[in-house]
Amino acid sequence: MANEKILIIDDDDDIVLAMRLPLEAAGYRVFRAASSDEGLQSVKAIAPDLILLDVMMDTTTAGIQVSLTLRNPDSTSEYAAFREIPILMITAIHATTPLRFAPDHDYLPVDAFIEKPIEPDELLARVREQLAKKPA
Amino acid sequence: MQKQVRLEAAPPPGGTLAERELEASLGWLISLRWVAGLGVLIATWAIGRILALQLASGPLYAIGTSILAYNIAFGWMLRRLRRHSAAPLSGANRLAHLQIASDWVAMTLLIHFSGGAESPAILYFFFHIALASILLSSRATYLYAVLATCLVGGTLLLEYGGILPHVAVVGFVPVPLYQQPAYVGGLLFFIISAMFVVAYLATRMTTRLRRREADVLELSQRLQRAYGRLQTLYEGAQVVTSTLDLQQVLNRLVEGTAKAMGVRACSIRLLDETGTRLRVAAVYGLSQSYLRKGDLALDRNPLARDALAGQAVIVGDVTTEPRLQFAAEAVAEGIRSTLTLPLHGKGGALGLIRAYSTEADHFTSDDETFLSAIAGQGSIAIENAMAYQKLAALDQMKSRFALTVTHELRSPVSVVRSLLRTMVAGYAGSMTEAQRDIVARALHRADFLQTLIDDLLDLAAGKSDVAATEERVPVPLDQAVERVIKRFEVLAKEKQVALEWRCESEDRPMTISATPEGVDRVLNNLLSNAVKYTPGGGRVSVRLRRAAVSTQRSAAGDPSGGDACLEVRDTGIGIPEDALPHMFEEFYRASNAKALVKDGTGLGMAITKDLVSRHGGRISVESVPGQGTTFRVTWPSVQV
Repeated sequence: MANEKILIIDDDDDIVLAMRLPLEAAGYRVFRAASSDEGLQSVKAIAPDLILLDVMMDTTTAGIQVSLTLRNPDSTSEYAAFREIPILMITAIHATTPLRFAPDHDYLPVDAFIEKPIEPDELLARVREQLAKKPA
Repeated sequence: MQKQVRLEAAPPPGGTLAERELEASLGWLISLRWVAGLGVLIATWAIGRILALQLASGPLYAIGTSILAYNIAFGWMLRRLRRHSAAPLSGANRLAHLQIASDWVAMTLLIHFSGGAESPAILYFFFHIALASILLSSRATYLYAVLATCLVGGTLLLEYGGILPHVAVVGFVPVPLYQQPAYVGGLLFFIISAMFVVAYLATRMTTRLRRREADVLELSQRLQRAYGRLQTLYEGAQVVTSTLDLQQVLNRLVEGTAKAMGVRACSIRLLDETGTRLRVAAVYGLSQSYLRKGDLALDRNPLARDALAGQAVIVGDVTTEPRLQFAAEAVAEGIRSTLTLPLHGKGGALGLIRAYSTEADHFTSDDETFLSAIAGQGSIAIENAMAYQKLAALDQMKSRFALTVTHELRSPVSVVRSLLRTMVAGYAGSMTEAQRDIVARALHRADFLQTLIDDLLDLAAGKSDVAATEERVPVPLDQAVERVIKRFEVLAKEKQVALEWRCESEDRPMTISATPEGVDRVLNNLLSNAVKYTPGGGRVSVRLRRAAVSTQRSAAGDPSGGDACLEVRDTGIGIPEDALPHMFEEFYRASNAKALVKDGTGLGMAITKDLVSRHGGRISVESVPGQGTTFRVTWPSVQV
């Protein structure tokens, strides 16, 4: 039974609820941070197995900043120990702007995207997929 | 316009009418004199030899030769006069007097040496009077008639009195008439009276002729000017109404006006929002430093007030005009006179149009009429352009508003859907059948709401300036179509609709310049509708081919060699005739489509049309209700 720790960094309580329910039902331990700063602190405190990261929080690119901080390649980075945690980015950007994101380790260091609205089964599938990649 | 400028700037070739006429007459007189001189020589010879009359041939030959000699001199003088003369009229006048005086002396000598009172040559004086009237003024002609009287009368009387020896043509007249007092008196009376009658008739006719010629010339010049201005007005109307860009309209107006009126400059000032100041909106022919003087303030500028109130204001001399706000600046700019007219639109005063001349008292009532026609025409063009500008800004604002609002709607709807899906999937605990049904219905409506919002966003984005920043890339159409066809294969199979796809592009792939998402959306909308509204057993066929090269494009030297034409044909429910014209309107759904498929935003075709035209293409539809529909999209293809 999966009991990995999943950290949701998102300022929207409702979307957090929509994700928390299926994740907890699937046996994951779900933690939540409501801002980028809180999110970064929680990463250090909890050392989650996977991060669900919202793009737009206090600023429209807050999520991107968080991912860049976590994946900082500098070996002296305070987050160096957490660099390998898979990041799933939650976004609604695809349908609304001509911008196109692709996982890119230099510019947008995340592992996969989940489009809003959240489809619970798809969410679980993505989470499983990312956790499976991680060496046990 | 150019032509008009030349007409006004350059005087007619060769100086004024009087100058040209006098010059031509002098030349003509010189030609005549060759005949006269030779005539004297030949006549002298013929009378002596053929008629065998005895006459003073020596002096007569001398007179003929002198006539030819001084004619050579006159010819030379006329040429010199034509070549370089600062004041051609006075020079020509002097030459005319000189010629006439010389001729009259020669004539008098000729009469004397050919028999005085008995000489028939005496009648030739009439020609000379006529010539004088052609060359000179009436007064001068009468003076010459008096002179001729003195010369002829003097000669005859001197001969009669024996003071001047009589030179007879022996054998011509049987009795010496010159000594007959009745004959000499009668001859003198008739000669003199006839000379004055000829002078009177000839000068009268010449004067009338001259006046008429001057009238004709002035009339033709006025006609030319009027034609030129008419041409300018016509061209101006064409040019000004050919664009809706306000600045372009204004620039064309000022430039065209200055050139057509043949003046230094023209400006248009428009009232600002407060209605108290006039800002320079367009200018032609004025220096930057002059323009920096600032706006015209209505409270300090009575002239501008008068003009705005509807008056044409002519300032004949800026140095003495008290109503000007910037008189000193105008003087420094070299401007002496101005003509100002109001620009009036339907909604009241728009501003002023002003023409500037470097000459004092340049502008006439003709200019006023002309500028007023320009102002009338210009006002309409300006008002149209302003209205268009306002509309465009409003439309942009509307699109931005729609974009913002729909964007804001998107996030909460997406959260609602996320929560409902979690619930439907059973992650929030088990529900009764009725609860599950209600939540499913709510989710269905939320999903539709999401589609509606996404469509609205697309539509708003397409109409806003966001669209202008999109990056276009070459998109191979056949590949794009194939991708979308694949997407609908499963659905078509489920519905038992045959889906056919044929690419008729011969050698080259058809590539258009577009955004891949845009093309995908267009194809997706067309295919989705075709499959959606075609009942089981029907057929949807997609065909891609190269359209015939349109003449317009080939004329412009377009290298692409034709348009790409996509055809989506179905055997579906068709579109009712009354619905066809509304197919591409926002939120429009045909009644039979609504009956068949309940949910539908009515935005799909509007978005499709918008996307097609943003990529430079055209879309058209043909349909027979109950039989099927064909959508045709034509895009300009590019060469890769």
